Amino acid sequence: MTTNREYTLRLKVNGDAYESRIDPRMNLADYLREELGLTATHVGCEHGVCGICNVLVDGRAVRSCLMLAAQAEGREVRTVEGLAEGGKLHPIQEAFIEEHGLQCGFCTGGFMMAVCELLENNASPSEEEIKDVVGGQICRCTGYNAIMRAAHNAAAKMGAGGSSAAE
Amino acid sequence: MAIEIPKNLSELPTRQTRFVGRGIRRVEDAALLTGRVEFVDDVVLPRMLHCAILRSPFAHARITRVDTSAAEALEGVVAVVTGEDAKRWSFPAQSSPDGWGIHCIAGEKVHYVGEPVAAVAASNRRVAEDAAELIEVDYEPLDVVADPFVAMQSDSPRVLDDQDSNVMMDRIFTWGDVDGAFAAAPHVFNEKFRWNRLGANPTETFGCISEWDPMELNLTIHGSIQSPGMFGLGRAASFGLPSNKVNIISHPHGGSFGGKGGTRGCDISCLLSRKAGGRPVKWIEDRGEYLLSGGSQAWDRHYDVSLAVDADGVVTGLKVGLVDDLGATGEAYGAISAAKPLAAFTGPYTIPVAQYDLKLVATHKLPCGPYRGMGPPPHFFVLEQMMDIAARALGEDPAEFRRKNFIAPDAFPYTIPSGNEYDSGNYPEVLDQALALADYPALRAAQAEARAEGRLVGIGVASAIEPGVFDWNAYAIVGMPGTGVPEGATVSIDIVGMATVRVGFSLEGQGQYTLVSQLVADYFGYEPESVRVVHVDTQSAPPSFGPGGSRLGVAITGAVLGACERIREKMCRVVAVLMQTEPENIELMDGKFCLKGAPGAEMTVAEVAGTMLGRSDLLPPDIDPRPEATHVWTAPGRTPADEEGRAKSYLTAAQAVHVVQVEIDRDTGMVEIQRYCLADDCGTRLNPDTVEGQTEGSVVQGIGAALLEEYVYDADAQPLCTSFMDYLMPTVFDVPEIEKVAVVTPSPFTPLGAKGCGEGAIHTTPAAIMCAINDALSPLGTSAREVPAAPARLWKLIREANGGG
Repeated sequence: MTTNREYTLRLKVNGDAYESRIDPRMNLADYLREELGLTATHVGCEHGVCGICNVLVDGRAVRSCLMLAAQAEGREVRTVEGLAEGGKLHPIQEAFIEEHGLQCGFCTGGFMMAVCELLENNASPSEEEIKDVVGGQICRCTGYNAIMRAAHNAAAKMGAGGSSAAE
Repeated sequence: MAIEIPKNLSELPTRQTRFVGRGIRRVEDAALLTGRVEFVDDVVLPRMLHCAILRSPFAHARITRVDTSAAEALEGVVAVVTGEDAKRWSFPAQSSPDGWGIHCIAGEKVHYVGEPVAAVAASNRRVAEDAAELIEVDYEPLDVVADPFVAMQSDSPRVLDDQDSNVMMDRIFTWGDVDGAFAAAPHVFNEKFRWNRLGANPTETFGCISEWDPMELNLTIHGSIQSPGMFGLGRAASFGLPSNKVNIISHPHGGSFGGKGGTRGCDISCLLSRKAGGRPVKWIEDRGEYLLSGGSQAWDRHYDVSLAVDADGVVTGLKVGLVDDLGATGEAYGAISAAKPLAAFTGPYTIPVAQYDLKLVATHKLPCGPYRGMGPPPHFFVLEQMMDIAARALGEDPAEFRRKNFIAPDAFPYTIPSGNEYDSGNYPEVLDQALALADYPALRAAQAEARAEGRLVGIGVASAIEPGVFDWNAYAIVGMPGTGVPEGATVSIDIVGMATVRVGFSLEGQGQYTLVSQLVADYFGYEPESVRVVHVDTQSAPPSFGPGGSRLGVAITGAVLGACERIREKMCRVVAVLMQTEPENIELMDGKFCLKGAPGAEMTVAEVAGTMLGRSDLLPPDIDPRPEATHVWTAPGRTPADEEGRAKSYLTAAQAVHVVQVEIDRDTGMVEIQRYCLADDCGTRLNPDTVEGQTEGSVVQGIGAALLEEYVYDADAQPLCTSFMDYLMPTVFDVPEIEKVAVVTPSPFTPLGAKGCGEGAIHTTPAAIMCAINDALSPLGTSAREVPAAPARLWKLIREANGGG
């Protein structure tokens, strides 16, 4: 089977509307990276375990390696590129810097999108609720404790009115 | 002119260091967090093709036919390569030991599951994978050997046809009168151990884009490459190119931990680019490929260890027998991991004599490569179990037994039997700090109560050395020649006084660019964010090895400070001319060049740089007008190895003590880590926050090693762990709070007294956890001798100890 751009996909990514002719078998991660050039979504395992490729689809964190791009038809997708606005880092990004929640930074986008989903739906999550989200992700550098601190820090920042959740 | 590198923080040209020695915001982070860092898979080049590799399903088979015609006919396919192309256009991989390398694509035979047999370059990855599936290969399966003890027998199937046996190396290294020590010892302990295969698994796999220039015969490679200089030399050797024809552009990468091998896949993409007329070919290893056949696997070891102890409980001799299953070839340098323990063979102890019976054996498994720590972590696992076995038999507390055998603080520099010299340390203090942090007596009291309730609670106390600032001479016994590993940096100050530092390595996660900016900021009075640190390709970079062997923090500090010193000297001469005095009357302090004894007579770094570049006509002709300098740092005082492998190799010796409490569930064999405390001494901490980050991450990799991670093969050498569902990476649920305390004994030999600390805790963590597990099991009269201590293994031990089976 060769490339067959027989599917017309319409969706919104980070607020912008797109219409693309794509191969129906293309997954969402590849679509974002290859077709839109949104390369902040990284791919770690391509079998849904590591969570590095998380994006938000209609506000829910999904593994973009496991979702066909065509399944995002008519949906709103948010990626890491959609976090910082107007040259200003998102509170989650600030929190990761302050707590040294990243080392190589390859997996961090997936953690941030997962934490973003949590904090936009739960302004004051418990330790267990945060752990449940962080526990769905793999990081090889940090050992996770710094990421837990970053998530708590982000919760405090967003709870204190720094949130972009109100949009 | 000899350049003096500051040996401690007070020698920096500032009244008070503002950045070095402190944790600061990392300069790398904003770009990483917003996705603006360019990882190699983000790179798109004009006319770029995508590679997919077809791999062997057999561990050992003859290839009788390869038919690529259907693949070549598929729309979008531009080039297909097979073993014939590899044979025609490339050389077998270099290896350690020498002579154990094979071509990057199999020719007549495959030697392990996952070995490439053909590859495709096509318009996109999906088409390339479709085409790879259309390639027809006929195999004639051959007998397989998956067990190194079988492989050593003369009638075993042979892995490489041109070798007489599967034994890559079989040598006994003896340092001192080992037989005498064991004959005289009232107590001799002997035990066997097994450390199963595990590996690095960085979150980003290997990837590259290779571009073969068919006219000029240049090779340009973009990649997620840990050691670009070495990688370039290797590719030059693969293709018989002069080294200056190969340019490596290393991109920031998603971790490595030694496991970013990728040379085989890279060479295949080079062959495809050549066959495609020079079009760039991207190969991004997927996770399945990484787990099956990437730079993913290390340390497949069988140990037989003996310890001699005198009547006072002093250890008087150590014998380590190691059968190391390196897999099918020596191409991935797994042998180095067996050699590196020489740098710290006897750990933190005064053990005066030692012996290493080392057998490197080939089997039909994936060739072993490096992993964080590069070999000592399993060595310390066995040494520390032996220390506990001895302490338990002699009725001594494991902490005090270790203290009695520690090298004393006033004994440094201290030469160990295997030849390396430890720079400095205060091991009793580190032990005291760790025990105090854990409240060791209270832990023991709580353990006694838990035991009374029948619970399997154990406490492990373990200590290990982290050799830092590697040198090739440490690996002389497995055929790595040479002494000295250069690291360079170029510091440039522009016409308005802003500083840029060019280095030869890309971002990997350790925060090295932050460290560079801290150093230059304190040296010349900048803010760290204003110092630009850029990576340049191997054609333009100063000599560089990059991260590896816990060396870069120390080495880049030497290089950057050396370059700063050179600029300072040059600028002092310029200022002296302008102020009509001698250079020795000029002093740099807090970013200003001052005339000594004349307050107010001063020039800023920017003013001096502006004068040098804008008014070079004012300078005497013998002054180089560029406010720029390159310095190349190498570790001082290293020595070539002698016949028995003894050398001054790794420059620094960091030390740690970990105290761990675990509880084992009797019914399931699951281990819960209930306390994790550690004290460590890696000399001056140039950035305590990033050191702590390295420590935390390394503890968790150590937890994975001790409890979770294992590449399982079946008896036919079929790998059974090819996804993250089978290869268990630690998650946050496996991680306890890690309580830490720092002891600082500066190194007398290094820039600012820092010691290598990047590999860190994994040297100690598996040992400490296994000590705790065995302490928990001791009331049952059983012990765990195999890593990882997975629930099924412990459950079986507990069941057998209880009379089940």
